[in-house]
Amino acid sequence: MRRGRRIATAGVLLASALAAAGCGIGAGEASEGTATLTITRDYGSESLHEATVSDPAESETVIRFLDREAEITTRHGDNFVQSIDGLAGRLGDGSRFDWFFYVNGYWSPIGAGEAEVHAGDRIWWDYREWSAAYTVPAVVGSFPEPFLNGYGGERFDVVVECEIEPADACERVEGVLRDEGVELRSAAATQAADADVLRVLVGPFGRLADDPAAKLLAAGPTTSGIFASIEIDRHGGYALFPAGVDGELRAGEQDRAGLIAATRVGDEQPTWLVTGVDRSGAEAAAEIFDAEHLRDRFAVAVIDGEVVPLPIEAGS
Amino acid sequence: MRVALAYSPRPGPLGAASPLQAALFLGPLAAIAFIHDSPFVLVGTAVAALWVASLSQALDALRAPLRWALALGVLIVAVNALAAQRGETILLRGWDLPLLGQLDVSLEALVEGGVLALRVLVALLVFAVWSACVNPDRILRGIRPYAARSALTGTLIARLVPLAAADLQRLSETARLRGPAASELGRMAIARRLLAGSLDRAIDVAATLELRGYGLDTSATQARPRTSAGGSGLVLAGVAIAAVGIVAAIVGVAGFDAYPTISIATGPGALALAGAIPLLAAAPFLASTRAGRSAVSDVG
Repeated sequence: MRRGRRIATAGVLLASALAAAGCGIGAGEASEGTATLTITRDYGSESLHEATVSDPAESETVIRFLDREAEITTRHGDNFVQSIDGLAGRLGDGSRFDWFFYVNGYWSPIGAGEAEVHAGDRIWWDYREWSAAYTVPAVVGSFPEPFLNGYGGERFDVVVECEIEPADACERVEGVLRDEGVELRSAAATQAADADVLRVLVGPFGRLADDPAAKLLAAGPTTSGIFASIEIDRHGGYALFPAGVDGELRAGEQDRAGLIAATRVGDEQPTWLVTGVDRSGAEAAAEIFDAEHLRDRFAVAVIDGEVVPLPIEAGS
Repeated sequence: MRVALAYSPRPGPLGAASPLQAALFLGPLAAIAFIHDSPFVLVGTAVAALWVASLSQALDALRAPLRWALALGVLIVAVNALAAQRGETILLRGWDLPLLGQLDVSLEALVEGGVLALRVLVALLVFAVWSACVNPDRILRGIRPYAARSALTGTLIARLVPLAAADLQRLSETARLRGPAASELGRMAIARRLLAGSLDRAIDVAATLELRGYGLDTSATQARPRTSAGGSGLVLAGVAIAAVGIVAAIVGVAGFDAYPTISIATGPGALALAGAIPLLAAAPFLASTRAGRSAVSDVG
């Protein structure tokens, strides 16, 4: 009798502790909408698998979503994915391959077992060589989800900062974002509100060069996560230097070369750069600012009118 | 006082077998726990270990390891439930802990923890049967030609640890018998006396070993290891268990996967394997009992 009472008391205490800790029974409430999963390799150059989940539950995480769709092995308490469908991370021969994931184009600072999946999210797993850049803080391949759904269920103000005249390129970028359903704010309004802002900088690199995000570009892939650089070359003009998977910059391109890339300065929200070596380069970049050209790309360059995924030679 | 070693002479083929024969019989049973993760196969192997212990009249010696295995098993299940963040069937969600992040408890993680606990249980049971049935002196004698110093160290530990434990008990009782008025004897004082006694005994043991020729060349006096007739049956059973287990693992008849949802092979192959392991393990004991009975009836 006394023992039964003790067990009942322990049960009540445990239930109270769980409730106080904010715990719940079962998978939790579902959020309405669809989340997508994309699995690629070599910086998005080869698509391996696509899947969706409707109305993801509160307990849905990146690892659970992936686990349903592929054969996986994990490490570190299910926070690190070692292999997907037999393709495993490896070290050796001077190269290092592993699986990395992005949520709406954000490199996840937390493990796959902790990262939650919300309706509208786009989860992107990529198997890549990471000797040159372990951390690629933001990628453009999940356009337009970063602007629509933000990160971790939190949406952020979106501002297009126009540094180009005439402003046709800016208007095109703003038009594409509006067509995708993105609400744009003015830079002044967001500065006044001291809000977390997702910025899109549009203009020739010479006009953006003083921006902290643009400065990262010159620091190389290891720092910026962008496999390209725009620098002044020996002719005195700006040139776009695309980088390979090894992080080494290749020959510079001066003529109408453009770039669309994303990076992050510290804990700030990502900054997207729609830029070029000059005005025509920035306009060329703005021309390809849409989901079709950016899909599954880490960054994209326009060289001689051709769309070139970055890093170059990935997957070859 | 509890005996430090679980071994005592046991009836049956395992008690009579050489350490090598016992290892060839029990080794495959322990290996099954690491090759297979099907709960059916693991339960079958645990039953095999218990049956072998029962047929060797060593069930008593398994009580303590069983208790440890169960306590360890509960811990493993609890830790795995919190550490593993996979599984579709969420039972509890939402511990958001600093550093550890969000912790959910899923049915699949609990089951995976249960399977890990079963593995530990099987391994502990098999090694407990080994400790209870295989003479440690014979093991050390077998090791001596290859690692004389290690064998000597093992032998001395096997002898001196129980003696030291008895010394400790005697010293503690003596201290208590001095009466309530006597000043309390601290642990350090008892430890000093215990160490002094152990050193005295070590010198005696060293002198005795020297007198008996320990350290002389052993190759000339090396006796051939003793094997038993029932031991060959054990070896055969061990080989059969290993073969069945390895073939089943290669063919994949007893698969188990905890994630994303629990999937356990329940086909005839898995069940046959789970049933075959205890039968194969018990076969040499049953055969030896039958042989003993027919020998008695022949005499009658």
